[in-house]
Amino acid sequence: MPVRPRPVDATLHGMTDYAAGATLLTLFPRLANLEGTESARQIRIAGAIHAGYSTMTDYPLGVVKLIPFKVHLALDAVGALALAATPFVTGQWKQGTRHWLPHAALCVFELAALAMTDPSGEGDFHGDIEAIRDANREDPHRKIYDGAPAVTPAVAA
Amino acid sequence: MRANVWSGRNTVQVENVPDPQILNERDAIVRITATAICGSDLHLYDGYIPTVKRGDILGHEFMGEVVETGKGVSNLKTGDRVVVPFPIACGDCWACRHELYSVCENSNPNYGIAEKFFGHSTAGMFGYAHITGGYAGGQAEYARVPYADVGPLKIEDDLTDEQVLFLSDIFPTGYFGADLCDIRGGEVIAVFGAGPVGQFAIASAVMMGAERVIAIDQYDYRLQMAVNRARATDVINFSEEPDIVEQLKELTAGRGPDAVIDAVGMEAAHGHGALHALDRAKQATRAESDRPHALRDAILACRPGGIVSVIGVYGGLMDKFPSGAFMNKGLQLRAGQCHVHKYLKPLYEHVKQGHIDPSFVVTHRLELDKAPDAYEIFKHKKDDCVKVVLTP
Amino acid sequence: MGSRASITVLRSREELERLWRDARYRPEQIDHARARVRFVEAPGDRGTEIHVELEPGVSGGVLGEAVRKLRGTEPLAKAKDGLHRFKQQVETGVIARSDGAPEGQQLRRQLRQRPAQPLEHDELQRAGA
Repeated sequence: MPVRPRPVDATLHGMTDYAAGATLLTLFPRLANLEGTESARQIRIAGAIHAGYSTMTDYPLGVVKLIPFKVHLALDAVGALALAATPFVTGQWKQGTRHWLPHAALCVFELAALAMTDPSGEGDFHGDIEAIRDANREDPHRKIYDGAPAVTPAVAA
Repeated sequence: MRANVWSGRNTVQVENVPDPQILNERDAIVRITATAICGSDLHLYDGYIPTVKRGDILGHEFMGEVVETGKGVSNLKTGDRVVVPFPIACGDCWACRHELYSVCENSNPNYGIAEKFFGHSTAGMFGYAHITGGYAGGQAEYARVPYADVGPLKIEDDLTDEQVLFLSDIFPTGYFGADLCDIRGGEVIAVFGAGPVGQFAIASAVMMGAERVIAIDQYDYRLQMAVNRARATDVINFSEEPDIVEQLKELTAGRGPDAVIDAVGMEAAHGHGALHALDRAKQATRAESDRPHALRDAILACRPGGIVSVIGVYGGLMDKFPSGAFMNKGLQLRAGQCHVHKYLKPLYEHVKQGHIDPSFVVTHRLELDKAPDAYEIFKHKKDDCVKVVLTP
Repeated sequence: MGSRASITVLRSREELERLWRDARYRPEQIDHARARVRFVEAPGDRGTEIHVELEPGVSGGVLGEAVRKLRGTEPLAKAKDGLHRFKQQVETGVIARSDGAPEGQQLRRQLRQRPAQPLEHDELQRAGA
């Protein structure tokens, strides 16, 4: 069965989390010509929340490793959909395209990133542990736990 | 012949390449019987070392049997069993004459590249990018060994390959790290990093008579090996308790260890705290090549007037080096790629006497063709991997 | 400033002055007609310093120099190569050759290295090994 490629590992996902969070907080509202609007505030809050829970995620770029990566991904999805829904809930979408399109676009971007993310949080590990175990002519466990000390104290001048 | 070559970031491949030839009358060709993957190979693998090329044969820890010698080599003959030191040293320049073999003045034909990065060239090295000369490495069936009248150590007893292979690099390197600490007996030594080099640094400090040796790592299985096999007296697992400096203070009743060995280097695990979070961000974007976490903590933890010995490999520049702590505490900072040739005979003697069995670090022994998976296991610390030996 | 190169060789001044004139050692990369060479005893036990100063004023000015640097034919780069090879030949008896740089030290080759694996037979011939 063909497997959809998921090239974004936990580290890369983390990088985009922080980059997206920072951008949403700073440049994005200005670039999307949204300054001063309700949309700008909503997008800024979304960026701040996103960056916030990223720092608390258990993945390579998390500061405090509290939130499991898979939960983080779920939050990403929920957050993206919530952001897209917001203009319609508040009714601001009636004021014009720029009051709902950025939200929807950001949602699509986030869902696409999620679709390409490897949820196992393994990072970029691509080895075959079973093949190694089969081929290994040594016993790691024995070497670590069962061996006697391999060095004599105080013998070198 | 078959050889393991660098094929891009996080990729190595075992391919067919030409057999090495004698290029100079001081060369020898060695048929390799055992070779290993080094922690510093991972810097090449991860793409942190500049000047690597696709097709470069990796590997700088190897031994085997001499199969050919140039006419200028009289100390070796075909059939001799040898261990080859990883720095390539001519033996004749001022540096070599002063036992500073890893900064030999003549052995790096790419001196200009090294000068751009380091200010001066250092010695050539096997299998370690073109900044060290672009010499083919030892994860292969054969290798060309320059200055064969200077480097290779003849093994003339029935010690196994695994008992002597590590004389090529990691045992002398760990020993050098401990040697730089000026241990006279009774000291407290902290070793950052319980990988293979850290294990040998710990074992060497024990051999030199240190009273307490504290192993620091984030992997429990490596700390177990440090205690069970290398005779570390204390451990700190910083994945459970991140403040290493504080724990070292507690272990020494506020004094700090007398000397600290950095056997971690540029790919240090991410530390804790706000300062380290900034490093994380910079490192992810490659704005900072050398992670400072281990060295920073080593300097902060070392007792005033003590020694910080750096054998973990660094390659470029690091930010936020604690210069204030370093200067005001009156620390000595000593470092280097090990001058292996200086230590070969004395350490071989220790192995022969039974003072140490270097094979204790080997957790995986595989055929050369398994190199790609082996690199992955080694890099990601899977299957209790500490050291991988490859047999061509 | 761009016309001087120097190196230190672990031999006496007399011996180096003699070898410098010997056809087997004399660096061919240096244009001896346009170079001023001085031999100075190095401090302590370090041997002898060789200072090479190249005649300035090769045609082309700044642009010419830049072009020559790019093509690797810059006289100063070649002089440095020559000094390194002289030092290697005198101190060790051989030129340092690697798989990436089989012809030995050549500044102009630095950006165009072959991969660090053994050479094919015809490459060996061309490298003059």
